[in-house]
This record gives sequence, C-alpha cells and structure tokens, in this order.
Amino acid sequence: MKKTSSILAAAAAFAFASPVAVAQTEPADMAQSDTTMLTVNVKGMVCDFCARAVTKVFGKNDAVENVHVDLDNGEIHVGLKQGASLTDDEVESLVKKSGYAMVSVEREVS
Amino acid sequence: MKIGYAAILVAATAVLEASVADARPVSYPGGATVMQKNNGFHSSIHAHYSPTFQDSIGLYSERNWAEDWHFTGVQYNRLVKRWNEKDSQANLYFKGGIGQADAFGEGGVDFASFAGVAADWETRRWFTSYEARAYDLGFDQTVRHAARIGVAPYIGDFGDLHTWLMLQVENQPDSETPTTLTPLVLFFYDVQLVEIGYTPETERFMANWIVRF
Repeated sequence: MKKTSSILAAAAAFAFASPVAVAQTEPADMAQSDTTMLTVNVKGMVCDFCARAVTKVFGKNDAVENVHVDLDNGEIHVGLKQGASLTDDEVESLVKKSGYAMVSVEREVS
Repeated sequence: MKIGYAAILVAATAVLEASVADARPVSYPGGATVMQKNNGFHSSIHAHYSPTFQDSIGLYSERNWAEDWHFTGVQYNRLVKRWNEKDSQANLYFKGGIGQADAFGEGGVDFASFAGVAADWETRRWFTSYEARAYDLGFDQTVRHAARIGVAPYIGDFGDLHTWLMLQVENQPDSETPTTLTPLVLFFYDVQLVEIGYTPETERFMANWIVRF
C-alpha cells in the first residue's frame, strides 16, 4: 500500500510538473517551428516527367525543405525550412522555370 | 520528293515525333536525357542536356537500314510553345541537327543536316503526337513522319509504374515499306521509360528506352 501511494504521488507530481516544463520551453519551440507549408495549384502538370521537373527545380531552392507533387489534384506541396520564406512571385517563377503555369498558392504556417 | 519536298519541310521545320519519349525532347533546367530507339529499320541514340526547360542540346546518331545511311551530329531542340491547361498539356517543338552522313561507307562522308517540328497533346489518360523530320544527307534527301495515339489503362500517381497502350503509324516514303503500323506498350517508372512494339508489315520488333537524369 505504501508502495502504491508512493507511485501515485510520483505520478501526480509528474502530471502537475509536466505543464510547467512545457510552458517553459514553449517560446523556444515556437521560434524553432516557425515553418511554412505551401500548396501551389498548377496547370499542365500531367505526367511523372512533369512532377520530376518540379521537384528538381523547387528542390534546388535554398528555402525549400521538401517537395511533394500531387498529380491527381495538380498541386505541389512545398515545405519551407524553418524561418525561410518564398514570395508568391518567387513561387510563380519556380513553377515557370519548371515549365508550368501557376494558378494559386496557399500558405499554412505552423 | 527529294530536294523540293525536303526543302519545303525543312523550311517549315516539319517534324513530329511519336512517343511520350520523343514528346519530351527537353528536360528541366540542368537535366540530362539519353534516349535510344530501334525498330529494326532505323536505330538512333540521342543524349541531350537542358540548360532551360525550353532548350536542349546534345548528340544524335542514327543508322538507317531502310535507306542505307548513317548520320552523326549535334542536335538542338526548342520548345516553341507550351499550352498548360488544368488537365492537359500541349507542346510544339522545333528540332534541328547538323553533322555528317555516309551511305554505309560508299561515296565518302558528306555534310548533313535535318530539321523538323513535333507536336503533342496529352492528359493523364490520353496521348497523341505527330512528328515530321526532313534530312539533307548531302548525297540524298529524305523525310519521315510519325504519329501516335495512346491510352493509359489506369491512372497512376507520381512515382507509380505508368503503362500506356499506343498505336504508331510511321511513313518513310523512300523505304521499301513506306507506311507501317506499330502497336506498342510503354512502361514508365521513375526516370526510366521503356517501350516495346511489333510492326506486322516488316515483321520487326520496336524497342525504345529513355533515362532522364
């Protein structure tokens, strides 16, 4: 019984202590996780060669962390490096350089 | 045909090629491509580098047993116009080459050139293309046309194995069998493309491949 009480006490201490610990690291985490995900809607991207061109061109940009092409929806999903950014004009330029036409770009910051 | 016909075609830069492979004579900026084609009557290899998505330059060599000649030279490809639509893409290309040709060692080596235009339209389900190419081999002139229509039996996403069923019609007026019809199947995976067909008129197999770097 004594042992059980000790375990419960330790668990309770951990449970109450945890939020404090998270709260302390929150500002640093926020700063490090300031990343942007772009969803670029593109016209003319109909085959793997097209998708490969897009991944190569975007992948060479210093701001880009990763690229995923969704041929079904004609979308390019671009993850930017922490703290990096690309303007709409820069995104459109990369799409054009790949050989395609940009329709729109949406941003999601996390 | 000969000079007059060929000259008109050259002037018109008439060429259309007939495959997903040939329909991609340019790559992404910094990309390189090697493509090899063989249908039993002519065999060719083309390696090119694309400084932009609109241009590529490289080496081209073709051996033509139907007309007994061999060409080796430099080829330049230009994407003249691309139409990007939501579910489709269409392209117009110019292709040109200069180099040397010989009639399988007879009569020495002559300065030679070719020019042509190619066009294609494709969706993820349908593909169609046409190419015409005119050659001035120095000792002879010739022209070749090819057209294709294809359908993908299933739609794959990026990275999947893609399959196309195609029918190619090719016209080479100076050859013994001027017009041929070739059903073929095309497999496209990652950076490799392979197509295999059979031409009943000539009883020859077609085998083409492309690798893009």
